[in-house]
Amino acid sequence: MKWNQHDISQYVEAKEYIDTLIVPLIPFGAKKDEQMKTQAFQKELLTMFVNEIEKEYKGRIVLLPEYYYLSGKVNEETARLNHWVEEFTELPFEHVFLFTFDVNWRKASKDVDGEVIWLPGLQSGNLQSSEAQSFIKEQVSQIAEMIRSYW
Amino acid sequence: MSDKKQVSRRQFLNYTLTGVGGFMAAGMLAPMVRFAIDPVLKPSAAGEFAAVVEESEITNEPQRFNWKVDQKDGWYESEVEKNAWVYKDENGEIVALSPICTHLGCTVDWNSQEQFPDEFYCPCHGGRYTKDGVNVPNTPPTAPLPVYEHKVEEGMLYLGQAISRGSGI
Repeated sequence: MKWNQHDISQYVEAKEYIDTLIVPLIPFGAKKDEQMKTQAFQKELLTMFVNEIEKEYKGRIVLLPEYYYLSGKVNEETARLNHWVEEFTELPFEHVFLFTFDVNWRKASKDVDGEVIWLPGLQSGNLQSSEAQSFIKEQVSQIAEMIRSYW
Repeated sequence: MSDKKQVSRRQFLNYTLTGVGGFMAAGMLAPMVRFAIDPVLKPSAAGEFAAVVEESEITNEPQRFNWKVDQKDGWYESEVEKNAWVYKDENGEIVALSPICTHLGCTVDWNSQEQFPDEFYCPCHGGRYTKDGVNVPNTPPTAPLPVYEHKVEEGMLYLGQAISRGSGI
């Protein structure tokens, strides 16, 4: 279920079947040109990526709106992020997966109420290219398997 | 003056003015009418078929094939990836099933669970379907998997719209 009217009204009708939450964590900043380019690209990539996962398991997953934050400020974000997650785990949601390409979450993951899944991403490239597409397909099928192992 | 009916100057002017006015009105109305009924005249996108796979690749075992279609959502056009489970049944008829679970929309897998061989299985809530796509009673789905319209031309399988099969069992 995506965060849109149609899906969410479906979710409200069928709450008992949906117990998994996905939040994409997306950093951005304006300090360095190169970094901006990479972050913009990785934002697109991650969005595509979580959409694919959502498509696969639509009936059991809610994909929350992206969580944006200034890059490099991961430690300051954990409290706010936990608020987000808490709000939904009360519904209840049993499994919370936070997807990111930002390696800084690795260290901070112990303070976060949920599974932080760090993905080694591509730096740049063409999202329409077959290379990127097969990269996404490959990772999605593995992540899907991982999510299934939690259920 | 003769007895023959003669067109008076006034009548003549009346006729010509009506004629010219009529032409002008028609010239203005014709495009307007065309605009008004335009949606009716548009070829419907619903009946469009897309080439999916060569017929020779289809076996008795369901295989998943992907293809892309252009989808128009209001003014937003996008390329959407579709997929189907395709196989030939015992009579050699091609069957193309939508992989979207009728329960809440997850993607079903073929033969992925050891305890339910030769069935479609939905990993989200354990929904099951037999090979012909009919839902197994007492599992969450309440309808069979939709079937794609299909046709074969020059050895190529074309798939159209997925047709829902109602509320089933």
